[in-house]
Amino acid sequence: MVSLARLLLQPEKPHDITIMLCELITNNTHNNNIALYKCYNANNVFYRKAAFSNWGNKIIENEKKGYEWFYNDSETLIETRLKKRYFYELVIPQFKGRKFSSDSIISGNEETIEMIIDYYKDRWSTKDVFAIHGDLALCNFVIDDKNIKLVDWEHFHYSDKEYFGYDIINMLFILIYHESKRTFSLNKRNRDFLRKCYIQLIEGVVDSNKILEKPFQNAKNYLLKFKDRFLINTNIYDKFVLSGSPPSVLEYFDSIVTK
Amino acid sequence: MLTPQHNYANLSSAVGLGLIGFNEEDIVLDYGCMFFDSFVYASRLCKKIVGIIPSSGRYNTLQKRLVEEGVKNYEFVNTNYKERHSGEKVDCVIINCFLEQLLTEIKHDKSVFFGNKTRPKKNDNSPEKISIGFLKTVFNVLRPGGTLYLSYANKLRISILFQLSMLEIMSFFFSYNLRKGMGFVSFVKKICLLFYYLLSQKGLEKLLKANGFVDIEKYAVFPDHKYPLKIIPFSKLDECSYEPVPDTSREGSLRRISAGVKRRVDRIIFNKLKLFGLSRSFIITARKAS
Repeated sequence: MVSLARLLLQPEKPHDITIMLCELITNNTHNNNIALYKCYNANNVFYRKAAFSNWGNKIIENEKKGYEWFYNDSETLIETRLKKRYFYELVIPQFKGRKFSSDSIISGNEETIEMIIDYYKDRWSTKDVFAIHGDLALCNFVIDDKNIKLVDWEHFHYSDKEYFGYDIINMLFILIYHESKRTFSLNKRNRDFLRKCYIQLIEGVVDSNKILEKPFQNAKNYLLKFKDRFLINTNIYDKFVLSGSPPSVLEYFDSIVTK
Repeated sequence: MLTPQHNYANLSSAVGLGLIGFNEEDIVLDYGCMFFDSFVYASRLCKKIVGIIPSSGRYNTLQKRLVEEGVKNYEFVNTNYKERHSGEKVDCVIINCFLEQLLTEIKHDKSVFFGNKTRPKKNDNSPEKISIGFLKTVFNVLRPGGTLYLSYANKLRISILFQLSMLEIMSFFFSYNLRKGMGFVSFVKKICLLFYYLLSQKGLEKLLKANGFVDIEKYAVFPDHKYPLKIIPFSKLDECSYEPVPDTSREGSLRRISAGVKRRVDRIIFNKLKLFGLSRSFIITARKAS
């Protein structure tokens, strides 16, 4: 980490073109006008998010805010570096630990999911200013023995504390989506686990909370009501599975967890 | 160029140029100006971009786009670059659609862009010396340590090979005489070299080396070099994972089925067998030896 910081803080030579050995991981996902590169140099591997439009600059600046909000009082030092040229770039260190695929399911990940809910309750409740990650999913966590790291803060935004729980409900819905192979039909074991997660999440939450009474329906309502806060540059239904899910499905899952 | 931004044009198709760390003082040369997004992207990050643009149609369209986007730090050259800018060195040369441009050169058997014939020079047939004219021009135009960026489609390699071979054959037979006849071995050698440079996995890299470039890095590009969604460096194949890029343009059940089959085949070719030489497009970056 120290050597990475040293590397990033080195002043650039005024006239030195660098060819970075990079892998392009994603480009313009959901029309975000951003490319994600994994870069290799002699000593380190790090990630670069680079904007390709003014909109992309906005997203990158927002992501930097997300990292700052989340890690500023963290014991773990996370050094991200925002380079503001005509097109912005965010340099993010590589986190070591267990990673998850974007189509992760509930089965087999129960322990991790419970751990994440605990972590969420702990980290989000201690913040002075409440915020929403906006795209909390298992694939955005990197977990090792000591730490949980959370990446991809493109949809970060400040919000009211009454919306506590939105991110976890969104994550659970993505897991349901993949577990059921888009049919929304879960076995009893998974349904029981969902209820367990819900009980874990609501424990100690104030009555004024605007999400957890009907978690899935309210989370969808939040998403649609405040969609501008999420900085989406595409149809919201293409980006978030929760936003396009039929009310009957959400009612069904609400009844499962709140019964 | 740190100037206020008024537009929201998305230049994501220029993502390949993100492999190059441009500096604000750089002068960039775009041979052919094949991709307008690349031209605009480079102009945003550099001091000046010079475009060598062969067709008036493309010139007009690009000019209009640059006016729309408020790009001012550019210059077009539609005559021989060497004549106009003798002595001026650039920091980076971009050649998008490298093989397509080479093909154009071959078809005209003259330099549209580069002032040199593309055909290998006579008596220049050793593996170390064989050169394509404009690579030499690029080398001369670049400052020491400057960067070369090439992108090209894989499928064109065979047609280029065919055309170059035809040129060699014609040149050999039309100028046949007794003395030439003795050079038959060298003629065959040339054809073999063309095969090697254009078809083998390492061929183009060797050709660049022969023309004075170092630090050559080759990348497999998916789905193509016109709008890359995935770029994998050949030197890091073991650390990279390939996941087929979804083709969102396909609609209809038959097309979806064929896309599904293609995805599965791609997984076998690239993920399991690691045959990245079969990628549809490539990018090569290199540096002029200091």
